[in-house]
Amino acid sequence: MTTVADHGTGHDTGHGPPGPYAPRPRGILMRPGFVRATWCAAAFFVVGMYIVVGLRWLAGWDPIYDWTIITLVGALTAAPIGFLLGLGAFDYWLYWISGRPTLPEDHSGHGATRWQDYFRVNTDHKVIGVQYTVTTFVFLLVGGLMAMIFRVELAEPGLQFLDGETFNGLVSVHATLLIFTFMVPVFAGLGNYVIPLMIGAPDMAFPRLNALSYWLLPIAGVMFLASFLAPGGAFAAGWTAYAPLSSELPVGSMFFNMGVQFAGASSILTALNFLVTIITMRAPGMTFWRMPLLVWANFTTSLLVVLATPFIAGSQFFVLFDRVMHTDFFVPEGGGYALGYQHIFWFYSHPAVYIMILPGFGIISEVISVFSRKPIFGYRLMAISLIGILVLGFSVWAHHLFVAGMADWLRVPMMITTLLIAVPTGVKVFSWLATMWEGRIHLTTPMLFALGFVSTFVIGGLSGIYLGSVPVDIHASDTYFVVAHIHYVFFGGSLLTVFAGVYYWFPKMTGRMYDERLGKLHFWLTFVTLNLTFFPMHWVGLRGMPRRVADYAAEFGAVNMFVTISSFALGASFFVFLYNMIVSWARGPAAGANPWRAMTLEWQVSSPPPIFNFDEVPTVVGGPYEYGVPGARHAVLGDPLREGVHA
Amino acid sequence: MTAHAEAAAHGHAEHHGPPPANRSSRMEPSTLGMLLFIASEAMLFGSFFAAYFFVRVVNPDATIVTPERWATWPPEPYEFPVFVAGVNTAILVTSSFTIHWAVQSIRRGNRRGLQAGLVATIALGLAFLLTQAIEYAHVGFNTTDGAFASVFFGLTGLHGAHVAVGLSLLIFAAVRAFRGHYSPEHYHGVEIPGIYWHFVDVMWIVVYATVYLL
Repeated sequence: MTTVADHGTGHDTGHGPPGPYAPRPRGILMRPGFVRATWCAAAFFVVGMYIVVGLRWLAGWDPIYDWTIITLVGALTAAPIGFLLGLGAFDYWLYWISGRPTLPEDHSGHGATRWQDYFRVNTDHKVIGVQYTVTTFVFLLVGGLMAMIFRVELAEPGLQFLDGETFNGLVSVHATLLIFTFMVPVFAGLGNYVIPLMIGAPDMAFPRLNALSYWLLPIAGVMFLASFLAPGGAFAAGWTAYAPLSSELPVGSMFFNMGVQFAGASSILTALNFLVTIITMRAPGMTFWRMPLLVWANFTTSLLVVLATPFIAGSQFFVLFDRVMHTDFFVPEGGGYALGYQHIFWFYSHPAVYIMILPGFGIISEVISVFSRKPIFGYRLMAISLIGILVLGFSVWAHHLFVAGMADWLRVPMMITTLLIAVPTGVKVFSWLATMWEGRIHLTTPMLFALGFVSTFVIGGLSGIYLGSVPVDIHASDTYFVVAHIHYVFFGGSLLTVFAGVYYWFPKMTGRMYDERLGKLHFWLTFVTLNLTFFPMHWVGLRGMPRRVADYAAEFGAVNMFVTISSFALGASFFVFLYNMIVSWARGPAAGANPWRAMTLEWQVSSPPPIFNFDEVPTVVGGPYEYGVPGARHAVLGDPLREGVHA
Repeated sequence: MTAHAEAAAHGHAEHHGPPPANRSSRMEPSTLGMLLFIASEAMLFGSFFAAYFFVRVVNPDATIVTPERWATWPPEPYEFPVFVAGVNTAILVTSSFTIHWAVQSIRRGNRRGLQAGLVATIALGLAFLLTQAIEYAHVGFNTTDGAFASVFFGLTGLHGAHVAVGLSLLIFAAVRAFRGHYSPEHYHGVEIPGIYWHFVDVMWIVVYATVYLL
């Protein structure tokens, strides 16, 4: 044995024949890729069905051959693993497992030179970042189009062209897609692209795990969409999928149960990767107090993801067990506890709303500081308030159960912790305002989105305070007031930060500049129509219009017609964005390395960055936001001895 | 000297790989990754424990926690095989010592000790799983027999799945150990599955104490 390399040590000998992991020339069937993925998925599907049949036989269930369950479990659990295997996500590890020498620093799957490289298992964090972002925007488009369909149904009272089940299915899949396959992972995508650059690292800590995390995501999205093909239609119990309803509805619910597992695994693995990268791979001099706030935001978010996501995995496992193995976790007749589902579900899903906004806070901090040409106000407090939200976020879940019949004594404590979250959030909002105070404000598209975000997010935050207080919640629970609130924080909050981030880093990712006029048009269309769409929902909600129902009282007809028309304008604004992105990516003017004159490290390398980010590890010498401070600098690139030549 | 340091010294790092990343923590990245993964796994167990206590304590049928109420867990006429599971506990605790022995052996360069320790750990782990399978077959109730059975199979089954995962990791490590990998300098491939195995072991003690003894 000449080459003794141990995976995971970060060391390797690098001597001897180059071949430890060099892929041999193989035929189309055996080469990693979509062909192999297809037949592997089919093979795993069959094997999975055999395993299910075997388990049913062992457990002595009658009938053993319940084909709906057998095919679905095979298709939803085994087949995706086969798909990933065929795609090549596990190849390196299989080499390792078989005991062959491997090279931890193997870069054969790194980087993209042609467009096909974006459709394979790629270990480059920049490629993965783009894969993530583009995929999630596809799901945003699909989920948004679903909203257009049911907004047409809701334009007038009475049932027009959808039946109740289809409507419920559309609403559920809309929410599920946008939460689990857009809002959570889109930040993982942007973070993937910029975090290693911002901390001066060549890549993520675990590039192969990173690739696997990405490829788990489209599986989840396809699963959610495929539920429309299931007998009995798509899952229709809402994105919260309360048990025991969700375990008794048609089998489409299983697509939700398993899709969430894949999306959840994807976000846990990415979060773990972010944490290890941020802790162990920062450039020299990059102390925690010199990290850009986006890195701070992703650090706290990742902690939330790692600690909270297992709870939704658990909750969906229980529902699946209740259906497939006839257990009684949430079945009162068998001694189960139905409310338990809501507790376990919200123990993840409330922190999840911070998972969906904290990275956005980070983006806004970058954008506002750069375009105000001023240091961020209260940098340390901004970071500490993130930690505050993280800690408080774990203690508020039961405010979703105020009217569910949970123990009364739990209400007031949960109300207090919920309202307390307004404090760290308020710190952030006022810090952004103070950052802009007397700054030289440049109203570029990202800055416009940041300003729009601050104003609409405050509205969403205020309605959140309403809903967090028990008496108002009892009145407004399950009405359109809740829909208005969630869309103000998700659309008016998170999505605007995503747009700000995409416009801000578009030059870095593509090397080209987007069209500023179209960007501004997109902003104004979005900002105006989103308020026209969602603000009236507060009113109809307080008047008592229930959410998640296809039909409604005639008195709400006029407002709903107005909302539907506005929502179509809102939907149309997305195509301005899409056109701008596609055309600018193809033909936009070259952007240069640092079009925004920003100080953070990702702007100190070319656009797009070199394949391994930095030719030499940069040295960090100061804070990231010292705009307008004479002589201040964040980092020195290249040899510190030649200091002064660069930067 | 690592390949990177060497490449950097000879000034041809262009396409062979990145410049070596700065290490901003004394912690080994893969060890840290495993610890975070374990934190996540502990929370997964947390959700199963939550379900367990919801059924056993919070459930309206279970609100009156009297000595009798606790005594009738599991409900008549079912019983949990406390003794068999106790033997299983002993098996698993022993395996924690054998994996520790394996890691200590390679640290001192004793390859035979590493191999023997891994084989012993794998054998003990398989014995645990086999005992659990037999226990399931003779326990006298099925997943369909009520919420007590759901949470029993839930927690012990989740743990059994983790034993299976840990065993797989150990088997992968053993294959490499017998193929001559690992040295006193490079033994993370054994150490990290070892950390996971200890976690699985500690988790079992909690599961056993809760499900069988409490």
